[in-house]
Amino acid sequence: MSLLIATTLDDALAALAAGARPIAGGTDLVVGARHGKAPLPASLVAIDRIESLRTVGRSADGGLVIGAGVSHHTIETDSTIGAEWSALADASALVGSPATRHVGTLGGNVMNGSPAMDTGAPLVVFGAEAELASGSGSRRVDMATLWVGPGRTSAAADELCVAIHLPARAPRSGSAYLRLEYRRAMEIAVVGAAASVTLTADGAVDSVRVALTAVAATIVEVTGLTGGSVADVAAAAEAAAADQATPISDLRASDRYRRHCIGVMARRAVEAAARRASGETIAIPVNRAVGIGMAAGAAS
Amino acid sequence: MTVTEPHPARPAPRFVRADGPDKVTGSGRYTADLSLTGVLAAKFRYADVSHARITRLDVSAARAMPGVMSVLTAADVPDVRFGPFVQDRTLFATDVVRFEGEIIAAVAATTAEIAQRAADAIVVEFEPLPVVTDLEASLATDAPLVHGDWADYGSAEVVVRDRNDASFSSITKGDAAAAMAGADVVVSSRYVADGCHAAPIEPRAVLAQWEGDKVTIWTSTQVPFDARAGVCETLKLPANRVRIIVPHLGGGFGGKCGFHYEAHIAALARAAKRPVRLVFSRREEFLAPDRRREGMIIDITTGMRTDGTIIARSGWIAIDNGAYTADAGFFSQLAAMHVAGPYRVPNVSIEAHLVYTNHQPSGSVRAPTAPQACWALESHTDELAKAVGLEPVAFRKLNAVDTGAEGPSGQTYDEIGLQQCIDAATANAGYGQELPDDEAIGVAIGWWPSFSVPSGAYVKIDGDGSGQIITGAQECGTGAVMTLRQLAADELGMAAEDFQLVYQDTSVAPYDMGATGSQTLFNNGRAVVNAAGQIAEQLRKLAADHLEASPDDIVLADGHASVAGTPTATVSIAELAGIASGGELLIGHGSGQPPGPPPLVGSTCVGDLGMAAFVAPQFSCHAVRVKLDRDTGVARVLAVSTAHDSGTIINELGALGQVEGGVLMGIGQALTEGTTYDDQGKQRNAAMLEYKLQTCADAPPINTHFVQIATPDAGPRGAKGLAEAPNVATAAAISNALAAIIGRPVRRLPMTAERVWETLNEEAAR
Amino acid sequence: MSESIDRDLTLSVNGIAYPVSVDTSRNLLSVIRTEIGLTGTKEGCDDCECGACMVLLDGQPVNSCSYLAAQAVGREITTIEGVMDGQELHPLQRNLLEEGGVQCGFCTPGMIMSATALLARTPSPSDEEIRIGLSGNLCRCTGYAKIIAAVRRTADES
Repeated sequence: MSLLIATTLDDALAALAAGARPIAGGTDLVVGARHGKAPLPASLVAIDRIESLRTVGRSADGGLVIGAGVSHHTIETDSTIGAEWSALADASALVGSPATRHVGTLGGNVMNGSPAMDTGAPLVVFGAEAELASGSGSRRVDMATLWVGPGRTSAAADELCVAIHLPARAPRSGSAYLRLEYRRAMEIAVVGAAASVTLTADGAVDSVRVALTAVAATIVEVTGLTGGSVADVAAAAEAAAADQATPISDLRASDRYRRHCIGVMARRAVEAAARRASGETIAIPVNRAVGIGMAAGAAS
Repeated sequence: MTVTEPHPARPAPRFVRADGPDKVTGSGRYTADLSLTGVLAAKFRYADVSHARITRLDVSAARAMPGVMSVLTAADVPDVRFGPFVQDRTLFATDVVRFEGEIIAAVAATTAEIAQRAADAIVVEFEPLPVVTDLEASLATDAPLVHGDWADYGSAEVVVRDRNDASFSSITKGDAAAAMAGADVVVSSRYVADGCHAAPIEPRAVLAQWEGDKVTIWTSTQVPFDARAGVCETLKLPANRVRIIVPHLGGGFGGKCGFHYEAHIAALARAAKRPVRLVFSRREEFLAPDRRREGMIIDITTGMRTDGTIIARSGWIAIDNGAYTADAGFFSQLAAMHVAGPYRVPNVSIEAHLVYTNHQPSGSVRAPTAPQACWALESHTDELAKAVGLEPVAFRKLNAVDTGAEGPSGQTYDEIGLQQCIDAATANAGYGQELPDDEAIGVAIGWWPSFSVPSGAYVKIDGDGSGQIITGAQECGTGAVMTLRQLAADELGMAAEDFQLVYQDTSVAPYDMGATGSQTLFNNGRAVVNAAGQIAEQLRKLAADHLEASPDDIVLADGHASVAGTPTATVSIAELAGIASGGELLIGHGSGQPPGPPPLVGSTCVGDLGMAAFVAPQFSCHAVRVKLDRDTGVARVLAVSTAHDSGTIINELGALGQVEGGVLMGIGQALTEGTTYDDQGKQRNAAMLEYKLQTCADAPPINTHFVQIATPDAGPRGAKGLAEAPNVATAAAISNALAAIIGRPVRRLPMTAERVWETLNEEAAR
Repeated sequence: MSESIDRDLTLSVNGIAYPVSVDTSRNLLSVIRTEIGLTGTKEGCDDCECGACMVLLDGQPVNSCSYLAAQAVGREITTIEGVMDGQELHPLQRNLLEEGGVQCGFCTPGMIMSATALLARTPSPSDEEIRIGLSGNLCRCTGYAKIIAAVRRTADES
């Protein structure tokens, strides 16, 4: 196996054009290879030292550009992301262990294309786009276009995800990501849901987007949701999520249980997002800030 | 050993383990850390099917691969069937494979990669046989046999066997049927527990090297003498040509009890004429050993008077033995005792079957059968309390055994502290306080015997006054061996730090049963006290000569021998040791007489493997506060309060560590840890991500109280065992908390979120 | 400068440069244990799930079982063998012993590495921050209470 440690984007793209595969933290790739999922590619290019991929910055329109090499740890602790794109911070804070969050990157998570990825549903509800670069230029695709199936993306082999673009948040907006987990840490989403809510001046839901984790072949967005009172919208999200999910049964959960729980997660995500939209602070991640996920000592 | 001096401002260090500095600096070596010049790597070829006849086995391609130094199958080792209770196992599959982790062949090669490729290159063809996975179906008279030749197998004399029932046991006292017929209230329950795993963080490893006709085996076993006996039996070697050394052991919890792969690796090393090392992957650790915790079906019926007094109990238990009996032969009787429970029950009739299936074999995992049986019994007990309108703790106080009471098998107890345990644990938990409606405190009681077995140790004091304890005991992490220093030091008026330990080496020290049955301090403590006492006697004589006094007047304290009442007449033990080094050396050896079993009155036991009489019985009560997310069924343990009667506590810090670790393991068993099988009897979750141990983020605060009663006929200073008892009652207490919130019990273990949710839904549907 | 890594690479472990010759597909754990010969870092699950293999890479915790050795070139690797202060135990090591946070010891090196990283970035952690900070390190012996106490005490003392 050959490895190029790239320090510039151009070097990385050249290596990709020559047939190398990108590696960032390597967690998915190395573990996968050892478990016989897929052998390590013959040629790898390490992209974790390309500084331009590791920055978080405002875009001109008030949105955010997160480099593909930005770690989950950076995302979970970034005050801007926490305040304005809270659902993404909620999600990154739940990924694996502290070590995984230091090594694992947003780009790696997104391009791995797992339907159980935690950051996926938040990106969908934010209307995010992935910026894919190659030797011949770059393009931006929305998430639904990017993910085509479990572990599969529409990116070409010589394209590298260099950044995620998040549109600016509207006033009175809030978001949240919750997942069902059996332990308080070291989990993979059994199901998860992200919600982004914008409130009217009198506190009703003006617009809402909800996306679901681990209930279909890819991250899916719930359709048909409209504004209304927070309670009505949360209830509608619960019903729609359970209705639109197409979960499987596996050793983590039955399809029936998943279908029930995705509704619960969707409802709670809308409720938490609405609370945040109203100006309330709920700590990152929501999973450990409210309800059953709270620390044992904090509950009584 | 050196212990860093404490910071002057900090409190004096309490128990600091002799092996602690090795473990916190990374300098301590575990088996997988060892290597030898020329060492080869071993890999096994597993059956990978649950039940089949081998129709073709061809290792020629593997043997021909460059770098492969030896390939062994059943044809290459002595034809020996072994097993402590039923001789149903061979080192390698002979004709039929009976579970997926059964070893068909072993390979030693110059690298692990080559060894794996060679193992994969072995050609095996099978004729499928019917796979037996259901416990009740397996007991049917027309069920396919897991062992067609079962009747021809040797077994321990007291084991009662029939077809797929590998060990039947019953406890009968009084007339349960008649009493039940006359009872005012009768409650029947069925509870079903899945199997689970010991899951020590260290996967096992074995390294073997022959020199001439002697073999040294470094291995991660909890029971070095048992491992030696297994090697000797299967490879037909005398004990003095097999040396088992255990480097630091990375946890066991019973999973590393018994005899596992030492003989395979020794045989490979002999054939290859090179040292050979085996290191398990986590997946192998899940699939292959014959030591996972047994799944169980438990039916219990209890008859009561309207005032809640229990008058009769009957029970039927099926225990998943898996494909081979390993050390599980006594599980049927032990499970029957745990379903009877630490209660005053005058009429008892309980039957237990240890049932062959094509699952991985079961074996002693921390308090075998007890957490599941206690979970069932104590969940049932809350149902009983509800049925007679009594509060669950009051119901237990009414019926639980106490000093002088007779237990379900006809044993009358000396002074015991169960009632005090119930009081302490519930009081410390704040039991009875108002709680939110999604929270409850569940209470359960448990018990566990101490194991009385022979054990030996030497103690010596060298010429400079420093001491050595040379013991056959095995340290698996609990600190039990580490605590031996304190016992020797107290006997000799020295400090624990004055002693070093030489342990877990079968050619150096006398016999000990190993880190199993919570027996180390109980039995080896007695041996060390005995050995140190001999030296104390020598020192008193030496001091008497030196100080011109009578040996009876010599007091050993603070590193000195002094004449009682005359503190100026004193000599240091180091000086006496110097004197002794020129004459009669300071050497002690001890084993001590193990206490015998207490008498049983009025009960009869079929398949009696000695488990109906509890030597120095330990008792416990756990009170666990649980919060439930009613929408999803996810439960969280918020706080745990425990009280334990394990007799005198010799090392409180070590004892607390045992309780806290046992409780967390119990929480895992209660909520997240359970083996799931496919319809072919193969494990579906043989990985740490899918087999979920509790993490640091899940760990609740644990409050522990020891009810200390110096117990006669027990371990040193009236100590009983401790390491397994904390694992008994936690899952049961969690079950009762969940039942209090939901309104009915969750009848499957583990009580996963989905099962809790299903139980909630059944309730809603009513 | 981008750098192409072949079999011959140099790893800096605990401040010492080690030249090694390995296939670039090798994980960091196996190279540390086998080529460099430091066995304090353990393998518990080969799955990124137990934390026994935790090392620090430029001060950040990494599961060395799931990290390519070649990717660590040019970074400073700290293992359990690099934690002691000369001949003195690090306060965390001492406190783990005195609080009773060590039993079988197999998780201990990884636990210490995670705790070291936690205290470096959060010198005064809350109990919840300690719990989450150590949540990638499984311990089967202790129930974690005494490990948490040791980390708490180390933070309080510094």
